[in-house]
Amino acid sequence: MTHLHWPNRWGDALAFVALGFGALCMIGPFVWMIATSLKPVAEQFDMALIPATPTLENYPRLFDILPMHLLLWNSFKIALISTFGQLLTCSMAGFIFAVVRFPFRNAIFVILLLTLMVPGQITAIPQFIIFRFLGLYGTQAPLYAPAFLGGAFGTFLMRQYFLTIPIELAEAARIDGASLARIFFTIYLPLAKPALAAFAIFAFMFSWNELFTALIYLPSDLEKTTLTVGLALFQQQYSGQWPLMMAASLFSVAPIIIVFFLAQRHFIAGISMSGLK
Amino acid sequence: MGNLRPMGPERWWVLVFLAPTLLGLLLGTFGSIFATLGISFTDWDLLTPATLAGISNYVDLPGDRLFRNALWNTLAFSALYVPATVIISLFVAIGLNRRIPGISFFRVAFFLPTVSSPTAVGLLWTWIYAENNGLMNRIVTALGGDPVSWLSRDVALYSVVIVNVWGAIGGGMIIFLAGLQSIPKDHCEVAALDGATPWQRLRFITLPALAPAMFFQIVLTTINAFQAFDYIYILTRTGNGNSTMPTLVFSIYRTGFRFFRMGDAAAQAVVLTGMIFVLTLVYFRLQKRWGAQA
Amino acid sequence: MKHLTSTALALILAAGAARAETTIDFALWGSPEEGEVWKTIAAEFEAAHPDIKVNIEVADWDGYWEKLRVQVAGGEPPDVFAMDAPLYPDWQSRGVLLNLQPYLDANPSALDGVYPITLEAYRTPDGLFGLPRDFQTIVLYYNKDMFDAAGQSYPDDSWSYDDFRAAAARLTLDANGDGVKEQWGFWAEVYDMEPFWGPVVWAWGGSPVDPAAGTTLVNTPEAQAAFQFIHDMWKVDGSMPSEQELAQYGYDGFLAGVAAMGFSGHWSVPEYAAAGLNFDVAPLPIGPAGRATGVNSAGFVISADTDAPDAAWQFVQFAISEAGQAKLANIGLAVPILESVAKGEAYLGQPVQINQALFVDALDYAHMKPVFRGYEEWSSAVGDALNLAWSGEEALADALAIAAEDGDAALAKNQ
Repeated sequence: MTHLHWPNRWGDALAFVALGFGALCMIGPFVWMIATSLKPVAEQFDMALIPATPTLENYPRLFDILPMHLLLWNSFKIALISTFGQLLTCSMAGFIFAVVRFPFRNAIFVILLLTLMVPGQITAIPQFIIFRFLGLYGTQAPLYAPAFLGGAFGTFLMRQYFLTIPIELAEAARIDGASLARIFFTIYLPLAKPALAAFAIFAFMFSWNELFTALIYLPSDLEKTTLTVGLALFQQQYSGQWPLMMAASLFSVAPIIIVFFLAQRHFIAGISMSGLK
Repeated sequence: MGNLRPMGPERWWVLVFLAPTLLGLLLGTFGSIFATLGISFTDWDLLTPATLAGISNYVDLPGDRLFRNALWNTLAFSALYVPATVIISLFVAIGLNRRIPGISFFRVAFFLPTVSSPTAVGLLWTWIYAENNGLMNRIVTALGGDPVSWLSRDVALYSVVIVNVWGAIGGGMIIFLAGLQSIPKDHCEVAALDGATPWQRLRFITLPALAPAMFFQIVLTTINAFQAFDYIYILTRTGNGNSTMPTLVFSIYRTGFRFFRMGDAAAQAVVLTGMIFVLTLVYFRLQKRWGAQA
Repeated sequence: MKHLTSTALALILAAGAARAETTIDFALWGSPEEGEVWKTIAAEFEAAHPDIKVNIEVADWDGYWEKLRVQVAGGEPPDVFAMDAPLYPDWQSRGVLLNLQPYLDANPSALDGVYPITLEAYRTPDGLFGLPRDFQTIVLYYNKDMFDAAGQSYPDDSWSYDDFRAAAARLTLDANGDGVKEQWGFWAEVYDMEPFWGPVVWAWGGSPVDPAAGTTLVNTPEAQAAFQFIHDMWKVDGSMPSEQELAQYGYDGFLAGVAAMGFSGHWSVPEYAAAGLNFDVAPLPIGPAGRATGVNSAGFVISADTDAPDAAWQFVQFAISEAGQAKLANIGLAVPILESVAKGEAYLGQPVQINQALFVDALDYAHMKPVFRGYEEWSSAVGDALNLAWSGEEALADALAIAAEDGDAALAKNQ
């Protein structure tokens, strides 16, 4: 066993107990959600962890009420395209901000961060007018086109990670005649796998959970819209039936958990970078 | 920060790499920063053309009781939420940065609250906080205390901070886990052989290496705190669509969309953005000082 | 020969022109099922009007209003959209709705058989800019199982508010004596005036608001007495769950099966039936000033910017016709505005077998839910102030004074 930050087995054991307790607190409500999704409506408020008469009926009912396969597919398609666009354009910009000196670098970066701080409630209408002006209203472009135009969150995240990579690597490669593009794709991007994995989780999650844009720009038609919009519609009628709501909500988070599970394997303690120096 | 000066054809690469961001920024600044600023100097009811209002929307803000209340709630919430989220997620990430069997399970466990739908989990938290037979009060009474009204006005602030921190640890953990991968393994081993204590290694190796990730996480957590809405609303909402603990974004939404006063709402948004911006500048300063010291 | 060919060509062209469709978008809030019913109504309409295609767009309540505001403000409004009567003046007064009066003048029989009170909300000095689609009256819901278990006779039209209060107290139970109630006699939504406090204030002879004068009337002697009744039943008798007690049961105590009675509109029927409750409805009790309830309606409006006003009007006309109304009655969420449908099999023969006629009969003693510009802001200000009393932060008298003051301020802002 490789231990990194604690000197002995006692430390490991202590960490294990603390994390075990933490994990229990984290996972508890989720287990309760699963339990509630297995209850008939009559038992929904009994606050019991184990259903008295467990049932699977809530899951097929979900598919009766909503065209789940279409909603899942629409959400998945948009999330996948958005994640790709974000990973590409944000890591490119993050690299330039972290490595290259150019005029107005700090000013541009600060304005970029500002866009993240302005609350979205006011900007919804101006953005609608811009999309309409560009002739994109009535298309699906407003859902994934912005993902290909960078973004403050991803650029900031990638910039911060690129800052931890010793600049000497880039300088040495440059003396060997490598172009900036080559330095980015062959040195920085491979080294940034953990950050890319982290960002992929966020980018996928943001797109998957996006409600407002899908609501505004997709037709309010269950065959054309995303899972979040479909579930909002569904809650209108079934908000009093919590087992059904829990089943729906478990269903909607499963894809993000899968993405997380796949991505977190890149958080492997002890990648040795010193060999590269 | 890297200071590579681009030469000759490299300038083109800089432009190509930045082009999507600059285009997005052009649209984004007009669509968000300038739009919000512009609207804040008008009276605009969404449905008829806006008229210029000068600074009257800002002048009216201090007299708006809902806004004052929302501002106070947001500041108090952020003051508790930001440090708690950053510190706890940092320690969780350090704890989960190891190669042991089953580590994936732990990581998924800490990530679950981040993805759980606030609407669904909100009910579970009302159970946990229920005055009678709720989990929290069972623990309190078992320890010999008196039952607490967790969602009453005096206590609700702390209760919603707990739920929000619970929901945010996973996100912070991801950032710090990624950041921890940039620490060369050899550094730790060398330090361990040199007999450094865990605290010394945290202080002199881990934290300095994590500084960029830490800066990112503090800025983002601050933005999230000032824009916090969903769990707070779900736990404190009233039957008329209001909240006993309104936050700033709730006030902005309500003033602009429901009361048709976009100008007032935009002025509130400018104040909100200004506060986050000033805090971010302070963090920048502190980071520089800290960086120089380390 | 040549002549014949050109005639044929002209015919083909004419047919082609006839098939050149006008498409209208109809946006509404609702559930997936409501969307399906509207699609069948649209299909029937399209069969009768082959040149018009109707696009149905359903969103949840919050999403609907968000999307509508962005679309209208951004210059892409749907042609026809649903409207909640109290919010209608906010939209009408800002000039975004089409005046339907010319169409109504051209079709004098268009509104025959529509309950007149449901039209009131949409009248303006310039005519009607909207038409009702269905209406809601508030009635007393009661859980038969809980009444049977307590040996209590069901509520009937002889009940006064005193009888109601006494029954509510008897139906409030702490069976195991642990100091924690498992059942309450009554639950109602207390923030918006529609389901509970509005009808009680009317039954005491008061009124919530006088929008024309810009005065909130919650602090008049009649209203004070009405609120005192609510306060005593809730805070003295403990016959209603506090917000804290209710939280763990979702938002609707009657739906959760922990309240024996409730005040609500027809919108609750499908939900209560789906939860398996054994319930029926009774008229609201008689107050010091007689029996009173509230009526509210949802309706249709047409965008002033629509490219196809005639097609939009034809669709609205179809939706309030007997054919359209009968289909809507099937959803079971509201009462049809056409007397012939509300008294016919389509409404009375709904799958949920309760006293459906009562919702219609309630029109006889119903007051219209106030409809004025700034309703939402007023309602929000008054609701928040009243909550000070319900949460115990202020004495009732003080909370009512604050409610009147804040309500008036909200009215003034929206003049």
